[in-house]
Amino acid sequence: MSTATASRAQLLSRMAAALLGGYGFAWGFIALGVATAFAAGMPFHDAEHLFSLLAFLLYLVTFLWSFAARDPRRVWLVLAGGGALMAALASLIQHVLV
Amino acid sequence: MFQNFRLAMAWVHTWFGLFLGFVLMVVFFFGSLSVFDREIDRWAIPESRFEPQPMPSYDEILKPVFEDMQPSKESVDQMRPRVDGPMPEHFDTPVRWGAYTTHRDPVLGLFAGYRVPNAKNPDELVWGTRTIDPRTGDALPDDQLKIGSRFFYPLHYSLNLHWMDLGYWIVGLAALIMLVALVTGVVMHRKLFRELFTFRPNKSKQRSILDLHNLTGVVALPFHFMFAFTGLVIFAGIYFPVTHTQLEPLHDLHEVVESQETGLPHESAGVPAPTASVDAMVAEAQRRWAARDMAGDVGFLALQHVGDANGYVSIYRAGTDRIALTGEGIHFKASTGEVLREDPPPSAVERIDEFLTGLHLQHFRHWLLRWLYVLGGLAGCACIATGFLFFVEKRKRQHAKRGQIGARVVDAMAVTTVTGMLIATLGMLIANRLLPTNLPARGDWEQYCFWGIWVLAMAHAFWRTAPVARARLAPAWGEQCWAIAVLAVAAVLLNWVTTGDHLLKTLSVGYWPVAGVDLFMLVGAVVAILAARRLKRRARPQPAASGELSGETAHA
Amino acid sequence: MPENIMLSVALILSVAGMGWFALALDTHWKQVCGKQPRGQASSRVLRGLGGAALSLSLILCLKVDHPTMAALVWIMALAGAALIVAFTLSWRPHWLALLAARPPRR
Repeated sequence: MSTATASRAQLLSRMAAALLGGYGFAWGFIALGVATAFAAGMPFHDAEHLFSLLAFLLYLVTFLWSFAARDPRRVWLVLAGGGALMAALASLIQHVLV
Repeated sequence: MFQNFRLAMAWVHTWFGLFLGFVLMVVFFFGSLSVFDREIDRWAIPESRFEPQPMPSYDEILKPVFEDMQPSKESVDQMRPRVDGPMPEHFDTPVRWGAYTTHRDPVLGLFAGYRVPNAKNPDELVWGTRTIDPRTGDALPDDQLKIGSRFFYPLHYSLNLHWMDLGYWIVGLAALIMLVALVTGVVMHRKLFRELFTFRPNKSKQRSILDLHNLTGVVALPFHFMFAFTGLVIFAGIYFPVTHTQLEPLHDLHEVVESQETGLPHESAGVPAPTASVDAMVAEAQRRWAARDMAGDVGFLALQHVGDANGYVSIYRAGTDRIALTGEGIHFKASTGEVLREDPPPSAVERIDEFLTGLHLQHFRHWLLRWLYVLGGLAGCACIATGFLFFVEKRKRQHAKRGQIGARVVDAMAVTTVTGMLIATLGMLIANRLLPTNLPARGDWEQYCFWGIWVLAMAHAFWRTAPVARARLAPAWGEQCWAIAVLAVAAVLLNWVTTGDHLLKTLSVGYWPVAGVDLFMLVGAVVAILAARRLKRRARPQPAASGELSGETAHA
Repeated sequence: MPENIMLSVALILSVAGMGWFALALDTHWKQVCGKQPRGQASSRVLRGLGGAALSLSLILCLKVDHPTMAALVWIMALAGAALIVAFTLSWRPHWLALLAARPPRR
């Protein structure tokens, strides 16, 4: 019984990581991508379109990886941690530019 | 937790596919109908059954109509909490006027945005819309719902669930899951090319359902992938509003830079100025397109800062011969008619973006491609529906033995979203022909009919799938197929009775929008009857049934 | 050639091309021609024919429309053609004997 509950908890954790963690990661990716590309001289809307386009493909990959990866803790670390890091960097670049 | 990669992917495919599949069914079916949304509008609004019209003269037709327009009551009500003080009775500072048409529109849709005095955010406008007969400028009654382009089409991308954009988010999640299901499906399938053409209707039921699931999924794989993906890209601004939240300051910085670069004024001057002849500007724009060897019609016409010294007129070419919706914009100073700017050719990224959104929104002129899109969409529906059926077939005996209701519930939901959805759609079209023309809020009643009939179909589905709990075929499928056949024929007959436009007439004059909708429903009726008869044969107890059964359990 | 005819030919070619690709697979060859030996119609030859037909279909699509649109028409035509071939194989397999230039299986 306890193993069943444990695996159910793990499954829920993976689902949350796939949906929410992946969303945060994609968000961070767009933010960082737009900020860097704009800083590097790419037109704003081009940067916006390009990175949101790529972000959906990235979201697809991270979604699948959340279930395929061996260790769900690592999934959370990469997705939530990486997403937050990228978003913070983006705000930093924005702060410098504006 | 999962023993291996393939099992993990299979779990994701089964369970996410099942739950979001019900949404995807709606998205694919109404997406397919939306390919012909304007034709369905013609069927539903008999007054608009005439040939498509080009953008009419602004100076003679559009100007007086725009001047007569006011924001809609809903828009004003929505704005009320964001204004200091009372709302005015009459809005007299229009900021933006626009008209958009395609090669398939007999009627013309106009919109107008107005400044609100004392608004907390002065850039926020209230909006009004109107539909006119472009030949005369006469307004079409607001009460008439454009069932194709204002109900089926938004149902496709928002489920018509507008509270907090919830519908968009559900559809967006479903689109992501569609992509996930395609990738995981390919991982599970393995024999992608070797079994590309394989459909064995005479093998066991489970096998033939799976064949059909694979076939419709794989042959239209590029279509399914591109449409789910481009659907997400179109609403990227809703799903990832990064540049309007976290990066808003950066966005504002760019807007200022942009308006300096383009020379198109971002703000109004506050000094009134008359508008020169817009028809002359249209003629000049068309001359310039022709000089670039891209002669074309006007697709989109917009006035910004109406009646102000900073006002300008933007004229865009209709993209009927390209994938892009509209383009090659030319902007004129409203007060003098001099050219302020010609949009430069799109950058590489813009080209990609135009292609991706344009291939999904399809405003081009290409009837063959439109029908191929319908085929792709219906293949998607077949793929999802067979997915449900496979789920039920694989589990119903086991569930029956253990007294579980899972298979029955899934079967009932499948009936609801497959045949039930068709019944609701046909029911709405019938209501459209039966409700009195002078009924107030007639369009709302049509929508209540749609949802009401769907709920009834769902109730029927849950009631008549009881035998699934005993591992037998649900009578709900056959019964709803008969209902579809009867309703489809009734809709065609009612169109004849109430408008006089029977098939012989519409076919002989070649009025395809109405003839096409009628024919499509009749073909649907024939398919439904064939399906119902086949289901009846299947349901009849056969001596060979026990043999078949053992073969099936071996597969499962 | 008028555009409608070019597009129709492109559609027919994509069905034929998909048909040849199907015949290149042993299971489908047996479905259509039974035990008749392949002779000159080896898998490689049939795949070559299929590839040629599909390429020709693409060229016709490109002649009619702007390349962006032609690519979509062609990809969707392939999907439709694959469906037609699959359903023909399950209900009237002997029709495809025409593509194999063989008498159909008895």
